[in-house]
Amino acid sequence: MKTQTLVSLTALLSLAGCASQQKPAPEHTPPPAQEATATPPVEAPPLAPAEVPAIPLQQPKPMELVVLARPDTPIVTFRLVFHSGSIDDPKGKEGLTALTATLMAEGGTQKLTSAQLLDALFPMAAELDTSVDKEFTTFSGRVHRDFLPRYLDIFTDVLLAPRLDAAELERLRTNAISTVENGLRSANDEGLGKAALDALIYEGHPYAHYTGGTVQGLKSITLDDVKAHAQRVFTQDRLVVGLAGAVDDALKQSLLSRLGTLPATGAPRVTLPTVTATSGRAVILQKQTLSTAVSMGYVNPVRRGDPDFFPLAFALTHLGEHRQSIGLLFNELREKRGLNYGDYAYAEHFIEDPGTTYNRTNIARTQQDLTVWIRPVDPSHAVFATRGALYFLDQLVKEPIAQERFDLMRGFLQGYSRLWEQTDPRRLGYAIDSLFYGTPHYLEQYRQALTKMTPQSVQEVLRRRLHPAALNFAFVTQDAEALANALRSGQPSPITYASDKSQALLDVDKSIIGLPLPVRADAITVTPAQSFMEK
Amino acid sequence: MRRLLPLLLLLLGIALPAFAQSTSSPTQAFPYTLKTDKLPNGLTVVRVPYPSQGIVSYVTVVRVGSRNEVEAGKTGFAHFFEHMMFKGTPRHPEGERERILGTFGFDDNAFTTDDITLYYSYGPTAGLPQLIDIEADRFRNLEYSEPSFRTEALAVLGEYHKSAAAPFLKMEETLNAAAFTKHTYRHTTLGFYEDIKAMPEAYQYSRDFFQRWYTPDNTLLFIVGDFDDDQVMKLVRENYGPWDRKTSTITVPTEPPQTQPRNAHVDWPQPTQPRQVLAWHTPAASANTNNAAIQTVLVAYLVGPTSPAYKQLVLEQQLVESIGSDYVDHRDPHLFTLTATLKDERHRDRVRLALLREVSKVAAGKVDAARVKAIQDNARYGALMALQTPRDVGIQLGWYAGILGTPDGLQRHLAHLAKVTPAQLSEFTKRYLQASKLTQLSLTPKVDTAGGTK
Repeated sequence: MKTQTLVSLTALLSLAGCASQQKPAPEHTPPPAQEATATPPVEAPPLAPAEVPAIPLQQPKPMELVVLARPDTPIVTFRLVFHSGSIDDPKGKEGLTALTATLMAEGGTQKLTSAQLLDALFPMAAELDTSVDKEFTTFSGRVHRDFLPRYLDIFTDVLLAPRLDAAELERLRTNAISTVENGLRSANDEGLGKAALDALIYEGHPYAHYTGGTVQGLKSITLDDVKAHAQRVFTQDRLVVGLAGAVDDALKQSLLSRLGTLPATGAPRVTLPTVTATSGRAVILQKQTLSTAVSMGYVNPVRRGDPDFFPLAFALTHLGEHRQSIGLLFNELREKRGLNYGDYAYAEHFIEDPGTTYNRTNIARTQQDLTVWIRPVDPSHAVFATRGALYFLDQLVKEPIAQERFDLMRGFLQGYSRLWEQTDPRRLGYAIDSLFYGTPHYLEQYRQALTKMTPQSVQEVLRRRLHPAALNFAFVTQDAEALANALRSGQPSPITYASDKSQALLDVDKSIIGLPLPVRADAITVTPAQSFMEK
Repeated sequence: MRRLLPLLLLLLGIALPAFAQSTSSPTQAFPYTLKTDKLPNGLTVVRVPYPSQGIVSYVTVVRVGSRNEVEAGKTGFAHFFEHMMFKGTPRHPEGERERILGTFGFDDNAFTTDDITLYYSYGPTAGLPQLIDIEADRFRNLEYSEPSFRTEALAVLGEYHKSAAAPFLKMEETLNAAAFTKHTYRHTTLGFYEDIKAMPEAYQYSRDFFQRWYTPDNTLLFIVGDFDDDQVMKLVRENYGPWDRKTSTITVPTEPPQTQPRNAHVDWPQPTQPRQVLAWHTPAASANTNNAAIQTVLVAYLVGPTSPAYKQLVLEQQLVESIGSDYVDHRDPHLFTLTATLKDERHRDRVRLALLREVSKVAAGKVDAARVKAIQDNARYGALMALQTPRDVGIQLGWYAGILGTPDGLQRHLAHLAKVTPAQLSEFTKRYLQASKLTQLSLTPKVDTAGGTK
């Protein structure tokens, strides 16, 4: 139960929002082999690479400034992005970066207690938030220009002179532990499945632990740890400064001169290890729940800036753009078969930007993942739904997308991608991400690339760069042993429907029911959800 | 008592401001112009120019929600029906909407609440002619097969299961069942679980539901963004003009006054924080009273981030993770709530009594005028900050229009907020936040040592 602000769009949309759409016409069903429009490749697709090296992201110059000023708004948007994240958490103190950032943003400044900070921001309706991901930490702010001088003092004090007091540390630590114990493990099967997949595919890697920390890691953090960490990771050499909206030269200079008192440098950059690609592993988290949540994916060497990224991203949007009913999985698994509430696919790591259906910005990663998300299904359909997702992923590798569908999806992305950049915070976010990925004008480049793609050119990329056999799986379910046995046995997963289905659908089902899942019988782990992210 | 009075008055064209055409000017709190027309069939069409460079949002709000579900066994239907609205027509069979709107890249979605169902499409202005055509067609001529209906019922069940993982749905179900004995607010928007499971059998009822509520006189359309107004209105008149059904009238049972305190409890079989909810019966939101504005201000006053309760319980004593409210404006009298997420079961009474003390202070006339002004400033600037895109503007306008039954509902609400006085907060609290009208809900985790997964 959340506090409802006056007109919180997020709250409105979270009331009972739901996408609900229709199935595609028959020609959108993956065509039978004899209707394939291209000559099937004679050689088998290449295997997934055995290793995904950590090719460093680009490094903007210290305190690089990104400004997107516009005259038609009274709002100023701040976006300070540090190339520091949960990978900077020391071993045994998982959660330190997130807890430090939260304490800075919420715990007051040397001039203002946390309560006074809230009092000061409240009449302005000003925003001051932080969010932490694996490699990046963002401090974001928005304020009406009526309050700019006062807000600028507060916003910069949060970074330059945070209060960092012991009582606030205890409060926020307790909340962070509760987020793991009561939130992630207990009340959010979907989030739990995604975090479990992260932990599985990045095992032993600094990405593996939950960004918010582990229970024992959070418990071990001291106030001295926080003070030292702020100096180590929130430094000029890791910072990009974003300003948008009602911005003038005076504001730019004032902000930069103040931030110039941050430490110039701090801790050496974390050297990310090569990921030794695993495949066919499954983790089943056992907890009391009505349904089964499914996430699957693998570490993916293709990231923004790679010439193959745009075709891959396009294909994954065709398969399942997040919470859009146009995706193939949504239509096949939800709309036609009624298995669940939604089914989506992602060419890069995805975290929903609150109140939207778009990916958050400034969560760039050196080593990306490619994932498929099956929203909770009836436990009796868990294996069928997993096979179903795999079947349609396989189709992408085997056959080009039909021209009509291809044209539809190209049009869709030309328009839909414009929605991703409709607000100042998001525009800044994209511009800042482009510095790290080396992809200037990223969305415009994407739209340009779309005009040149063909079904054949995309399929050629998919054949080389999409690897269904490399998938790993995370499930959240109540009867974990039954699911583990079903996965181990490889037995067919038949399905019956409560309403009439077309013969074409039943024919596809025949292929899905017995489809071999790339799960190794000796690589299935059952874990109680209550022990997840303990340490 | 006829709870549909505002709607009936709207039909008769009296009491509420009658308008065939009107233009509202920008204000400090809402810096946009509304151009409003009412078609002869009763459809209200509002256009809002917004400098969005070729992007438009198209919001249709139907004044139907779970509040309208008066028949036993049919709860959750407004929400289920929202799903069915995407299933096609004879002219645009299932799948065609997706192809037409998908080509342009529209974000196309909807949500249902206790009182309204809101549909929105958000994308390039270039697709507006096709959008108007396909939208008018579905509101006039929706048609779907029984197998399609049965399949979609399973997606709705999946939605329920997804939501059931967290304790909030169970809490809302339990609170509503305790606080309401007769009114349809007794069930949540998703509906009773048993009714959701029975949905596949209700095909004919769904057809009736469409005829009953999806009518031009029960619907408001908002078009926000960068478009040619004359061209758009011409298309709207052509496409929506022939839509000719009249809305039904039903009697939503009146909730009898609560005369004794009530309690309800949830044992949650998994680890979670203990929770406490205080819920009082309070008046409905309406266009011509400030009851909704008072309650909005009261939430911020009692449990907002600058409230004494927040400072004491969250920051200083750290007895709770958070305090807040689930108050949402409703068409009929609903609940004013205060909520606390506790850190420890042992502090439940201490927290509960602290919240009640804050209520008592306000009822006794001890209201800090400076804090009220700060809340009003927050509301005014917060409204400006919240309207970042045509989608934001369209959904906010649609939401308030749907609840309040007038196209300028949002502006009225903002105007009411600016006028709330400390004395009004005190009078309202004294009158409505009384012990006899209070329902208390507690939730306690009950977990066995093996992890509570029996």
